Amino acid sequence: MSPSRRSFLWTMGAAATAYGIQDTTRVFWSPEPASQAGWTPGIEKHLTSTCLVCPARCGIRGRVVDGSLIRLTGNSLHPMNRGGICPRGVAGVQMLYHPERIAAPLVRVGPRGGARWRAVSREDALVLLLERLRELRSAGHPETLALLAGFCSGTMEDVWRQFLTAYGSPNYVADDYQDGTESVMRLMHGIDRRPGYDLERAAFVLSFGAPLFESWWSPLQAFVAYADPDERNGQRPRFVQVDTRFSRTAAQAQEWVGIRPDTHGVLALGIAYVIIRDQLYDTRFVADHVSGFEDSIDAEGHLREGYRSMVLRSYRTEEVSAATGVPVERITSLARAFAENQPAIAVCGMDVTHAQRGLMAGMAVHSLNVLMGSVNRPGGVLFGQDPPVAPLVTPVMDDTATIGLARGPAGGAGPQLGAHGAANRFAGAVVDGEVTVDTILLYYSNPLASSIHPQTWRAALARVPFIVSFSPFLDETTSQADLVLPDLLPYERWQDASPPASYPYPVWGLARPLVDPGTSGMHSGDAVLALARQLGGSVAESLPYDSFETLLKQRARGLFAVRRGMLLGNAFERRNQRRMEERGWWLAEHAEFEPFWQDLVERGGWTDPFFDHTDPARLAQTASGRVELMPDAFARGAVAAGLGPASYLALDTVKSAASTDFPLRLIPYRLSTLASGTLALERWMSEAPSLFPNVHWNPWVEVHPETARALGFHDSDYVWVVSSRGRIRAQLKVFPGTAPDNVCLPYGLRHPDGALANPLQLLDGDHDVLSGLASWSSTFVRLERA
Amino acid sequence: MRERARIVTRWGMVIDLDRCTGCVACEVACKSENNIATVPPDQAAMGRAKSWMKVVAEVEGEFPDTSLHFYPRPCMQCDNPPCVKVCPVAATYINDEGTVAQIYARCIGCRYCANACPYTVKYFNWYGPEWADSERQHLNPDVSVRPKGVIEKCTFCHHRLQQAREDARAEGRVLREEDYQPACQEACPTAAIVFGDLENSTHRVRQLKDDPRSMRLMEDLGTAPKVYYLRPRE
Repeated sequence: MSPSRRSFLWTMGAAATAYGIQDTTRVFWSPEPASQAGWTPGIEKHLTSTCLVCPARCGIRGRVVDGSLIRLTGNSLHPMNRGGICPRGVAGVQMLYHPERIAAPLVRVGPRGGARWRAVSREDALVLLLERLRELRSAGHPETLALLAGFCSGTMEDVWRQFLTAYGSPNYVADDYQDGTESVMRLMHGIDRRPGYDLERAAFVLSFGAPLFESWWSPLQAFVAYADPDERNGQRPRFVQVDTRFSRTAAQAQEWVGIRPDTHGVLALGIAYVIIRDQLYDTRFVADHVSGFEDSIDAEGHLREGYRSMVLRSYRTEEVSAATGVPVERITSLARAFAENQPAIAVCGMDVTHAQRGLMAGMAVHSLNVLMGSVNRPGGVLFGQDPPVAPLVTPVMDDTATIGLARGPAGGAGPQLGAHGAANRFAGAVVDGEVTVDTILLYYSNPLASSIHPQTWRAALARVPFIVSFSPFLDETTSQADLVLPDLLPYERWQDASPPASYPYPVWGLARPLVDPGTSGMHSGDAVLALARQLGGSVAESLPYDSFETLLKQRARGLFAVRRGMLLGNAFERRNQRRMEERGWWLAEHAEFEPFWQDLVERGGWTDPFFDHTDPARLAQTASGRVELMPDAFARGAVAAGLGPASYLALDTVKSAASTDFPLRLIPYRLSTLASGTLALERWMSEAPSLFPNVHWNPWVEVHPETARALGFHDSDYVWVVSSRGRIRAQLKVFPGTAPDNVCLPYGLRHPDGALANPLQLLDGDHDVLSGLASWSSTFVRLERA
Repeated sequence: MRERARIVTRWGMVIDLDRCTGCVACEVACKSENNIATVPPDQAAMGRAKSWMKVVAEVEGEFPDTSLHFYPRPCMQCDNPPCVKVCPVAATYINDEGTVAQIYARCIGCRYCANACPYTVKYFNWYGPEWADSERQHLNPDVSVRPKGVIEKCTFCHHRLQQAREDARAEGRVLREEDYQPACQEACPTAAIVFGDLENSTHRVRQLKDDPRSMRLMEDLGTAPKVYYLRPRE
């Protein structure tokens, strides 16, 4: 029976009513998502490794599904980051699968920089380089090979150095992160090492411009001290941030002290003045372990002013207040808080040492630690030690190598008291024709984008006949290369990676491949070993290792044999191990090396949680055995550099001033979310690089609201930041945390077209004649509408 | 109407602003876990960037007396969610465990919910997600990518709950507090984010939400958020 029109309408109406009165959340129809034909659930693995994105070298774990890296999280066993991870670490998956990654070794076709390439096999690329290296050696000029090494540490650095030594080139040119504090420590302690900071056990952390929670050596170390200080029963150290701009670290610190640029050292000595005047310093430590505090008579019968007299005479709080802009009562209260909340640490940031009197300022800041005896004791400044891995074989040098090495490094010995600025000196020497460089190897260095003097570098590279880059991305300098041998990305290769010196306990972190590296690139370590093998003779004898992985395994034998320390473990295991070692005990976890190695790979590394505070060699290795507050070497260096004999007194003699043309002081700073120019930026990072809600993809400049108003600019306007040396286009952000006469420009940003906006290229070129470090905040700029 | 099953579990979050350093690891971890695509620069400038978890910063005062407060802002997972009420097709709904969920296949893209949400945590896909071929390899196979024209939002990493339940069942045990953690909590380097069942007295969130420092955003609107904040000390 066919339905009548009436019954049909009735049925439909009833159905609609029934439909309407049901719980609407349950009756709507949605299709089941369909899987693709042939799909099967993937195999999931969680593997431990070490992050190689920045120098912090945190422990990570990767979630790998069907051979693809899906997620990166922190390794909870790693003693420094303890399961935490920073945004750049998380975004590493986007670096691994970055669309701009170089797919295969490339040989230049056509003119340099013409962006025309021919893809070649790894073997062919190696042969090209090998032939060149053979020619240089057979011509008796191995020194014309140079390596420009960006951040490079551990076994990779050792292999490069060993290779160059055996080959005969003295030109290992470091182009890495430098903060100059190792020069400070060498002068005052006789220990040539950056200081470690026991933040976790400190009660008071006075940071002079160190971006502890942003782009410090290891932000995760600071995070752990801030949020998880298990050594102090959960009580957090009091963080005080002295900074020229209101940074995120300043925002999170319990107290922020705004200061004029380049006056950190003056403030430190102003604090020292109060501490000495009120007798708050550690008199016993100063008497037993410090020299240069009191006045003395030298061998020629002259009175030498000691630290105390100098500070009391020259750094009265009123004068310091006038110079720094910090009120007198603030200086006094800071000094008292620093002295009374022991153990306290004064941390010296890069802003302090990158100044015309940077080395002095760094010494002034560290002198506060010395006054309070906050060195080589829990909660103070600690000099760490490298993990006791097995050394490489002794390098063998044939006659060619000996001759090459004797010709000395290009660019000369460097400044008076530091070894900084080597890369720029090298470039200058090449441009001036002082040295001839035939082949330059670029290892994670991109000077055309990151250097303060890109023009010098451009001219220098133009004089180098053969440029080889190991970068996995076509960055600015790699674009000029003749041969590109792309390295594997951090999640594809074996590497050892220890935390920076700021973390005082030795850790040997291990990065291992999380995914199959495929055939696109080649581990640079394996490439060097292969080159050495092929070169044969003494070079091959100096690097007799099959692969980088076996070399790392070989080095781990040192850890197995050392009879101290432990594989990475949880907080309980670390504490247990330390207590045992404090009592002179050590228990072997493994009887054989092979299971030790397997476990080491599984856990992500080795560490030793015990620190011997009783070892006098960890306090001072100077000739007197004491910490030098007024080091002789410094006084001699200052005289030689024309600064006069008065060591700290030249601190406030530098006066850089605004002019009508350039009225605003430029403050460059590093962002935690961004790279330094050698690795590609991840899209997640570029889209939201800061806490500013409306900054995406573009470089920006921070300007005080009054300044912006006076200049007629509004938030989000595009401006040129113009200095006497150049200009950068940026989006203006009105930010009340910027001082009215400053503008702040973050470092590491790229324009949407990929060009790096590097504020360092606006700098006026001033530098510290003692250390060689460039002055970051003595340049003045103006803003123009773009 | 059928009576909703008695709620025995209410997933909630406590964010300790005293511990948060504004590092945005939570933001990026969320994007990585939930396959959140970036948008082109011109779209981002129009406010169309998506970030289910967003660290919001507020500045007060001027140099040198400046202060900056920031708080991570996920979906508040309201017990009385304004977005659910306005959805004409029931694409957004509150499930039996209190999580406000979004059914992408049902969403018609009217954006009523995005307008109704006082916390502005619902994001519209103006265009389909753009991934380079190589980037598709890092997509999380547990989370669907959203097409053009639908709203998306924080799910408290609901897929992880499903996985954790299956694991617990397979191992013949009850679900433990640490079994189910959203990606933001997992990544937070200062352990500022705590997640768990607000109805379970053994879970830390249950204890922390009653802390004297506890507060919720825009409580006066009556939305009853299940994300609590602990005010900074001092």
